[in-house]
Amino acid sequence: MASAGKGTRGALNLLKNLPRVGLTNIKALPGAFTKAPRRMGGKMKRKCGRGHKGQGQRGTRPRLGFEGGNTPFYLRIPKYGYYDDHSRRRQYPPLSLNRLQYLIDMGRIDTTQPIDLASLTVSRGVSINPKRQHYGINLVEEGADIFQAKINIEVQYASELAIATVERNGGTISTAYYDPMSLLILCDPIGYFAKGIPIPKRALPPEDLVEYYTSAEYRGYLSDPQEIQKARLALADKYGYKLPDLSLEERFKMLSIRKDPRQILFGLGTGWLVDMNRKTVLKPTDPDLLEFYKS
Amino acid sequence: MAAPFRKICLRLSSRLSPGFQAERCTIPRVSACLCSQATSPSAEDGRTDPLKPAQPEFIESKEDFRWVEKLMPRYQVPPIPEHPHYPTPCGWVPPRDPPPDLPYSVRRSRFSHVPVYERFSKGGSRKQTVIQHIEGDIWALEKELEEFLPAIIGRNPAIQVNEVTRKIVIKGLVMEEVKKWLLEKGF
Repeated sequence: MASAGKGTRGALNLLKNLPRVGLTNIKALPGAFTKAPRRMGGKMKRKCGRGHKGQGQRGTRPRLGFEGGNTPFYLRIPKYGYYDDHSRRRQYPPLSLNRLQYLIDMGRIDTTQPIDLASLTVSRGVSINPKRQHYGINLVEEGADIFQAKINIEVQYASELAIATVERNGGTISTAYYDPMSLLILCDPIGYFAKGIPIPKRALPPEDLVEYYTSAEYRGYLSDPQEIQKARLALADKYGYKLPDLSLEERFKMLSIRKDPRQILFGLGTGWLVDMNRKTVLKPTDPDLLEFYKS
Repeated sequence: MAAPFRKICLRLSSRLSPGFQAERCTIPRVSACLCSQATSPSAEDGRTDPLKPAQPEFIESKEDFRWVEKLMPRYQVPPIPEHPHYPTPCGWVPPRDPPPDLPYSVRRSRFSHVPVYERFSKGGSRKQTVIQHIEGDIWALEKELEEFLPAIIGRNPAIQVNEVTRKIVIKGLVMEEVKKWLLEKGF
């Protein structure tokens, strides 16, 4: 090492020759960290911090929660199943009409295309974690008085006023079920395509959800389209607005696009395999496979 | 229970009313030219490799990849489209063009919001309002705040100026009022 020397020259010499500063060659200033002192000597002699006689000094204290013989607090209070099956309950994180209007205003969602959970996730409008018992989004009516957009939206749950607001503004809304596997694909489609597995069929809803998704009242995807038309008129009567005639819209075709009950993503069918590297979509030709995927 | 339920679902999904057309994605039908090559790997022709498929296993489609492109995640904040009038239905107002003639300016955040936020610490008992992204003469803004805030939070409002990080911290929750005040100025 070159001569350390004093002053600026010495400091510059040091800088030239010493290795780069890293975690392995630095030390804190003296007094920066203090060790906890050992409990030895002086105050820590004689009773050694254990007090005078009794259970404390003799180390015979009873278990935590014991109250001397009367029924302790943790046994007095009765059990109640607040959290029974909590890890199996379906959760539908909310999406308010306020937030939806904000996303549309900021240009993060394209209203010229049908909106589903995939387009909302891709544009980072909502964040859904299918691994945390999230089964989709719940369109909430907060912001019903400021909502003005004409959209074709597909959610998993919608309140009556939210449905009315969307339809009053000349849009369409439908509710559809996605099983957890399909929801994983819907929320992260590119991550799924990278696995090199064909797109599976979407499962049909479980028994307790069949009634919901076959009801026209909630615009279920398995309900009768004629019943939906009746329900639209009934809702318009109930809330007192005039239902716009969608067939006159130039966007009528876009507003009436619906996914097949077995389809997960718009434009991509079941059984198709997406090749991200070669930027192609591979579709199966075997008739047995086609029969399976159609069923 | 499963069988009748499936039948109901299939019946309902295939029923379409004339006034309500739905575009359903269909699996393409295997074309005739592909089918003609199909010979079942039977015992008649011993040379046919039973493991090798008799017809092409798949059809390639580059056109359908456009649906995948729509699913690519966005990594940049998209530009805000033009609106016929402001404020937009959600309440957003763009910054005034040209910017106001003041010794300081408060730049918008990456999502084009006025950068005034509420801050809570110490278990929620400490309530502060922070104004970020202040450029120019920060003390001029502080002076104007000293005149504006007493009407809301009483005289001698506690204001901290941080010249290095370009922030002003006000003791108290005055986010809405300060935002409105800055919007009126044109930031």
